[in-house]
Amino acid sequence: MKFGRRAFLQFAAGAVGGTLLSPMPWRLADDTAIWSQNWSWRPSPERGPITTVPTVCTLCQGGCGIQARLVNGNRAIYLEGNPVHPINAGGICPLGAAALQYLYAPYRIEQPMKQTRARGEAAGFQPISWSEALDDLVKRLARLKSEGTPGGVACITGSRWNSMDDLWARFFSAYGSAGLFKMPSHSDSLRATAKLALGKDSSLAFALEHASYVLSFGAALVEGWGAPARMQAAFMRWQKNGAGKGAAKLVQVESRCSMSAAKADQWVPVVPGTEGLLALGIAHVMVKENLYDADFVSRGVLGFEDWTDMQGKVRSGFKKIALSPAYAPDQVAARTGVDAAKIQGLAREFASTANAVAVWGGGQQNVPGNIYHEMSFFALNVLRGNLKSGGLVSLVPDVPFQPADDQTAASAEGGAPQIKLGSVPGTRVPLPGNGIYGFLDILTRGMIPPLEVLFVHDANPAYSLPENKIFKAALDKVGYVVSMSPYMDETAMTADLILPNHAAFEGFEDVVGLPGVPYAYYAVSRPILKPRKDTKHSGDVVLQLSKALGGNVAAALPWASYEEYLKNRVNALAASKRGAVADKKDIDLSKLQSSVSVSPNFKDGTDLWKKLTGGFCWYDVPVDVRSAVDTDSGKIELAFRAIQGKGLNVEDDQVYLPHFKPLPPSGDEKEYPLLLLSYGMLSLSCENLANPPFMTKTLWDFVLKKNDLFVEVNPATAGPLGMIEGSKAVLKTPQGEVAVRVHLSQAARPGAIYMPQGLGHTAYDEFIQGKGVNSNSVVEVQVDPITGMGTVWATRAQLRRA
Amino acid sequence: MSGNGHSQSGVRFGMAIDLDRCTGCMACSVACQAENNVSFRADESDKLRSITWLEVYHLQNGKEYPDYQFTYLPRPCMHCDSPHHSPCTFVCPVNATTRDEVSGIVNHIYPRCIGCRYCIVACPYHARDFNWWDPKWPKSMESMLSPEVSTRMRGVVEKCTFCHHRLLKARSKAYLDGIDPNEATYAPACAEACPTKAITFGNLLDPESAVAKLSKDPRAFRILAKLNTEPKVYYLSKHQWVHKLGDNSF
Repeated sequence: MKFGRRAFLQFAAGAVGGTLLSPMPWRLADDTAIWSQNWSWRPSPERGPITTVPTVCTLCQGGCGIQARLVNGNRAIYLEGNPVHPINAGGICPLGAAALQYLYAPYRIEQPMKQTRARGEAAGFQPISWSEALDDLVKRLARLKSEGTPGGVACITGSRWNSMDDLWARFFSAYGSAGLFKMPSHSDSLRATAKLALGKDSSLAFALEHASYVLSFGAALVEGWGAPARMQAAFMRWQKNGAGKGAAKLVQVESRCSMSAAKADQWVPVVPGTEGLLALGIAHVMVKENLYDADFVSRGVLGFEDWTDMQGKVRSGFKKIALSPAYAPDQVAARTGVDAAKIQGLAREFASTANAVAVWGGGQQNVPGNIYHEMSFFALNVLRGNLKSGGLVSLVPDVPFQPADDQTAASAEGGAPQIKLGSVPGTRVPLPGNGIYGFLDILTRGMIPPLEVLFVHDANPAYSLPENKIFKAALDKVGYVVSMSPYMDETAMTADLILPNHAAFEGFEDVVGLPGVPYAYYAVSRPILKPRKDTKHSGDVVLQLSKALGGNVAAALPWASYEEYLKNRVNALAASKRGAVADKKDIDLSKLQSSVSVSPNFKDGTDLWKKLTGGFCWYDVPVDVRSAVDTDSGKIELAFRAIQGKGLNVEDDQVYLPHFKPLPPSGDEKEYPLLLLSYGMLSLSCENLANPPFMTKTLWDFVLKKNDLFVEVNPATAGPLGMIEGSKAVLKTPQGEVAVRVHLSQAARPGAIYMPQGLGHTAYDEFIQGKGVNSNSVVEVQVDPITGMGTVWATRAQLRRA
Repeated sequence: MSGNGHSQSGVRFGMAIDLDRCTGCMACSVACQAENNVSFRADESDKLRSITWLEVYHLQNGKEYPDYQFTYLPRPCMHCDSPHHSPCTFVCPVNATTRDEVSGIVNHIYPRCIGCRYCIVACPYHARDFNWWDPKWPKSMESMLSPEVSTRMRGVVEKCTFCHHRLLKARSKAYLDGIDPNEATYAPACAEACPTKAITFGNLLDPESAVAKLSKDPRAFRILAKLNTEPKVYYLSKHQWVHKLGDNSF
């Protein structure tokens, strides 16, 4: 048969047409598309019913109400704010939003681990069972107790504002050791100030929702100060009048243009470390021009006018000190860099604006401050009459657990006995506060016997303690380091034994009071999932140790589990018949008044526990600060009368009063002509939790680029040093030397270098390890000679091109 | 190529972000990543490669210390409302990205995307990101992935969706409750997370809605409005220098 060209073409066209009309090519194309999308390594999340579990976030002490979204009830996929909760009203901070990255972190410790090689050797960690780990530990503790040396056991905990703090205090009290220490916090200073001035062992509270004028001395108000979400909500209120006009004027006194300074209505740039001097300059103007609440001061304050000390000698009062020429505007202007007219303007505005309050203190990386400067800021509030009933400054109320326990305080931060530093010659301080630095110092120097056992709980001091080498040096004097961290962090790496705690939201926790918040607060954080690893709640560990030790320790901690212990606490709270549960939306806790009591809306402890574990919080009225004053004189005391007889040279009247007394950093000014200050951001975690990947993504590329950390320097400072944007440099302080890069910024004060806190981790995983430099390794701690607490304000530094 | 640009309903979802209230906490950016299974890599400092549906920009007033001031500007997808097409939907050769005229949301179908990246070139806001590599999560973190948002594969573009999976849920719920689904409102993850309520979301065509009122506020402006992209994200700032930067190209 002839098969010509035409026939062939007709056949081909027919074949193509026919094929196109058939489903085959379309199915093939579709299948190819599907097949090309089926990469087997792309995770396909398991589906299932989605439920919501309310709880309370415990990643910081902010006490936010949150909700967790779960799939099939067994995996958590999202955390969001609980809209009913009065503190955060549905919002959440970035750490909370990223919190599941800790629950599911690849660097979680799976079970107890024992170091079988030299301390610090990563490969030496071998898994052991809980029973083996705890048996060994009990043996050590029992031996020390029976030998009469329970002081050989100490603990550094990051827990404040929760019942673990209380449990540790009970344990250490019963065990017989005064070695319970907390990681430093600015609330240590607020407590010290309250103790001095008001005679109360509580932290100070500020009714910021009612302020119309906020004079902030370096407080990182929108970057993690106090209870972060509460501050964000307060800031929202300050903005609220619409048309961009705020309900409150914010004046930020700070050397650097931080976010709080950028958001403020007025930024007052100062020479670093002179914020206290500016406060005294303002006090000078207020006193001189009679702009203070004279009636309040004369009736309720001791130490403003001249006063008589315990030996009958008449001493100068704060009035005389404030009026001294050293605090006159032109003198203060010279040292602070704030001109005299502005100082007078600030004083007059602070004095004449209704509802004006002064606040101060660090941001995220809370550290205590210089007590004389803390008292200076506090004094401004005294002059302003802010410590009246219902005033802007009061105390954080105790949570009224009944009956009040003899062993521990019901106060929001607990209060365990601490090693009396005065027992060691040469270490006595007049008004001891949180003595962690003093303790590490005398331990390292061999002034007390080496520790046998050191617990580290809810803290990572090897990383986040400012001047962290102090902690690392002290470890040489510790026989057995027990880390209770859920994560393989820098401190866990140095441990001899790891007893991993649950990660957040795997166990019961609670929140006892909120820093800086004037109304009483209590919340329970219920777990959202069963623990994923072979971990144990550190509270359960303490209780198990107590039981095994027997005797008075077991008797003092009789609870079978931490959950039972918390239930017991809630029963004690219910028995007080005080306060109520915020179980409806839009409850405005800032409207609470100390004179108007709240009717309980819970029946008993069981009912209260049910409501609390349903994600609702308990609240009660603020403290009436006037009636709470418990000083010897019964008045608010501006003079530190308690200093007398504490071994300090008290000839100089100034020693008793707020005055400008900066703690000088070490180093020669010629060798170190610049000042290094570290700063925190709400979007960069810098305490015991390493920054999670979601948050690391948000870091500017002029803060972190690949593994290089950028320090902020003003071009006027960097230029003469031969540096441009991005220059590689060496930052050196008397503490050490690190490699950095330079970011030129007009936010930086000339002559200062600003370094972010939170990077420079040497543990964890590829998402955070090895990125940048740890500011704690280059900053210097100046110990306050009055309180013995470690303060961090500035470190002398030099910067040179690499 | 994609739709005819005519609204079929009285719904146009949009956003108003108050920059005076924004405290730069980055909760919005983190919440977006968590809600939408956005992947992350060990090094996120190369911002041209980093996948950020809600990117935050750093704006400053160009003045010297101590007159310096800065603000952050969170930038989701603008879901441009320009007539007939958004810049990105116009150039897509395979209809992987279209503007849904029922809601005004510009969506993106990952399996349809061929990775040509024309849309990335077209978008003047740099709102779109490309998966140069397969997203990979640490094994333990795969448990965190939400089944409500598909994970992506290498070779496709992704961007902010105004959390339209939440819209679909809200519409379904409205239908089951016997309410007109077009009346359904919802909040995307960023607006819900913001602790100062700086982000407001809603129907711009509803004159009673907060977002519609804010869009007419004297403090309101839009970025690159002069390009006539009709972005549906409004910004509010009391500072003139911030308004001026809205005309800068990024």
